[in-house]
Amino acid sequence: MALLELSGLTKRFGAFTALDDISLLIERGEVHCLLGENGAGKSTLCNLVFGVHRPDAGTMTLGGEPFDPRGPAEALQRGVVMVHQHFSLVPNMSVAENLMLGRASAVLKPQDIIVRMEQLAAEYGLEIDPEARIDELSVGERQRVEIIKCLLGDPQLLVLDEPTAVLQPGEIDALLAICRQVALRGKSVILVTHKLGEISRVADRTTVLRQGRIIETVTMEGADIRSLVRSMVGRDVQSAGSVLAAAVDIEGKTPAKPSDAAGPVSPGEAVLQISDLVYRDPHGVPRLDGLSLTVGTGEIVGIAGVEGNGQTELGLILAGLAAPSAGAIVVGGTQVGGCTPQEITDAGVGIVPEDRHAVACIKELSVAENLFLGAIGKFSRFGLLDKSARRKAAEAMMRDFDVRASSPDVSMASLSGGNQQKAVLARELSLDPLVFLLAAQPTRGLDVGAIEAVYNRIRAARDDGLGVLLISSELEELMAVSDRIAVIYRGKLVGELAAGAFSREAIGAMMSGHAHV
Amino acid sequence: MVMKNPKLARVAKGARLELVPLQVLVPVVSTIIALGIGLLIIAATGASVLEAIEAFWDGMAGSDFNIGASINRAISLALVGLGFIFASRANLTNVGGEGQIAMGGMFATAAALHGAGDLPLGLAFIVPLAVGTIAGAVWGGLAGFLKAARGTNEVISTLLLSFIALPLVYWSVESFHLLRKPISDVSSLPESAEIPDTTKLPLLFPDNGSPLHIGLLIAAIAVVVVWLVLKHSTLGLRLRAVGLNATASRRAGMRTSFYVILAMTVSGGLGGLGGAIMILGQQFYLTSDFSSGYGFDGLVVGLLSRGSAVGVVIGALLFGFLRSGSINMEISAHVPSAVVLICQGLIVIVIAGSAILTNRKVTR
Repeated sequence: MALLELSGLTKRFGAFTALDDISLLIERGEVHCLLGENGAGKSTLCNLVFGVHRPDAGTMTLGGEPFDPRGPAEALQRGVVMVHQHFSLVPNMSVAENLMLGRASAVLKPQDIIVRMEQLAAEYGLEIDPEARIDELSVGERQRVEIIKCLLGDPQLLVLDEPTAVLQPGEIDALLAICRQVALRGKSVILVTHKLGEISRVADRTTVLRQGRIIETVTMEGADIRSLVRSMVGRDVQSAGSVLAAAVDIEGKTPAKPSDAAGPVSPGEAVLQISDLVYRDPHGVPRLDGLSLTVGTGEIVGIAGVEGNGQTELGLILAGLAAPSAGAIVVGGTQVGGCTPQEITDAGVGIVPEDRHAVACIKELSVAENLFLGAIGKFSRFGLLDKSARRKAAEAMMRDFDVRASSPDVSMASLSGGNQQKAVLARELSLDPLVFLLAAQPTRGLDVGAIEAVYNRIRAARDDGLGVLLISSELEELMAVSDRIAVIYRGKLVGELAAGAFSREAIGAMMSGHAHV
Repeated sequence: MVMKNPKLARVAKGARLELVPLQVLVPVVSTIIALGIGLLIIAATGASVLEAIEAFWDGMAGSDFNIGASINRAISLALVGLGFIFASRANLTNVGGEGQIAMGGMFATAAALHGAGDLPLGLAFIVPLAVGTIAGAVWGGLAGFLKAARGTNEVISTLLLSFIALPLVYWSVESFHLLRKPISDVSSLPESAEIPDTTKLPLLFPDNGSPLHIGLLIAAIAVVVVWLVLKHSTLGLRLRAVGLNATASRRAGMRTSFYVILAMTVSGGLGGLGGAIMILGQQFYLTSDFSSGYGFDGLVVGLLSRGSAVGVVIGALLFGFLRSGSINMEISAHVPSAVVLICQGLIVIVIAGSAILTNRKVTR
């Protein structure tokens, strides 16, 4: 008998149907992957099972009994646990203390926790020092603490929402192995992902979701990966070539060299020169620690690294939103370190910021207003807006960059993430002068089609002679697009690989601080 | 993605269609409900409801004089309300209208008493109006500066600045070396001397006894200018952008601190102008409590307008007439004017409550 049975689950948010008539069986002892693009309903489904949301229609049974959790507490009581994308750990407390939170009765028994941790370590290979403070741990280790927290109560069902998004390659392998171990012990695992490479390594069965509906549920043994992609995207991706394959990590490995990279690969003169850049955060912690980097015209330099090693700060400094503590940044002969965003823009720097909603656009404003956010005065007479001229220019820009919206006057929020990002790219690539583009996490949260469009834009910019700095946490993406990859670790570049010499293993090792150049 | 589904698109369209009437419907229905409750309260005080309504109507619009007085009240409320929506365009909440009126009125009085009276060509009243506007602008701008430089919440700073401004007015009319009129007889009150006739705002209809003054024209110009700036100018768009997302605006090259200070300065300036008009248009001498709640009524007018300049006009007229009516109701029908204050409070609560309802429709 199945452990969890979902029948006819429907969930609406206002007029938007997030899940539509979902029926699904989760067997005991299986790793069941949920695959789908952003907005397909994967997270909503997890949240229903974990009691965060309640379904508008449909029923669930768990172990044969009706299951209708009114909140996470009730789900936990029934043996359903979930690891969210964002961890809920107290950073300045130890691992053991964190594990006691929420479980402690009147008397704390640290000893019991430590004994239980040892058991789990033996069973699943979940080694971790109980005395270590959370803020000393890497992201992967923190996730391990979250998983231990879940397994402490000996659950029946473990739900993991996009657990691999924050991990580096070695950590991903370890996590997938843990999932198998959990399943071997008769518990079930629901694993949400949009990376096909992981699915083929860990899943027993996979359910593909698209636009809130189940497209198919397949047994992984002997399954055709390409048909899964087709179900997920809703079209054939063969035509899209290796870019797409890289984006969804189909083979688990990458083409040695991006085959679509037809443009000039020999970089010209330096367009961006960063030397000995240091940045200390308001607490005095060094986030960038003597970083030096050169980007030439007509080349894409990728920055690989586990999140939190200074990429975000580098992006903010280049955007003019943070001032470096020391060091110089020169763009085309102009010193821009610590300059205002306007001065940086005037120097010919386009920025696609990491955080699309907080920095790149104002979602309440219209698409046209966002496209000309930095040039509000461009369409005005005597201080009054010339909306029709702006509208015309916006329409032309939307056509050029394939930004799909019913009109330039609809709000940015009504666009899909992919179209929002295309609009941001349109704005930044239309700057004049423009000699350098920073693209930070440019495809985060985008669907496959949009990822392809973003890659093409970045390549085209490179081919037009721009220097491009690509910061990404997706190794596959970096390897598919970059001409050169530098690896950042603890605020410093620890190594660099030229095109043709990319290897997951080498980059992964450098990302974790084992530098071998 | 939503638009791909024709059914969803239709639902979304439907929501947008019914939205427009809702924004008008909600304030109107709230006002009617609040007035209805007010009538019940009048009945509960034991007064004759009919008599109260009659006195109320008479006070609001019973004569040319009363209509003029009601509109004069509405002028200052409208200016404070315009100031409120101007700041709120940049997502700033200026609750310091009372203090900005006080500063505007005080400095306008000072200007009128000390020199402006002898100026030619209407400058006699224009200069005091300008001085009052600047005083209010400084008072509002101060809150903007604190916000931009130190991140001080403008709700708190504007409120506290009001608590400073009101005693300042009191001090100025208490002190002979400041604005208090020289003692001419024993019963001299703590108030300023009457301002010179030349500094009083000219009446629009001097022949029919209506007190309506040219403040109406000034307010009308302010309404049009604020509407243009907020809806159709580059400045309005920049204010909106900064208010919605300061980081993104900064990235796009806007000097966010500048716009925060500017929004609060203009907002305070409109309040100061409202205060100056109160003195020059109808009160003619400064008393310690001359602003008597106009700032807070103006704030309510701004809130009820939901950011629209036209809404401010309607709200200011409503509150101006209500105030006139309530004063007369108290005098002739012996109904406490507090009842009208209760009604005003009810209108605010009902509208604020229903705003949650309409806003929810907007976001989904």
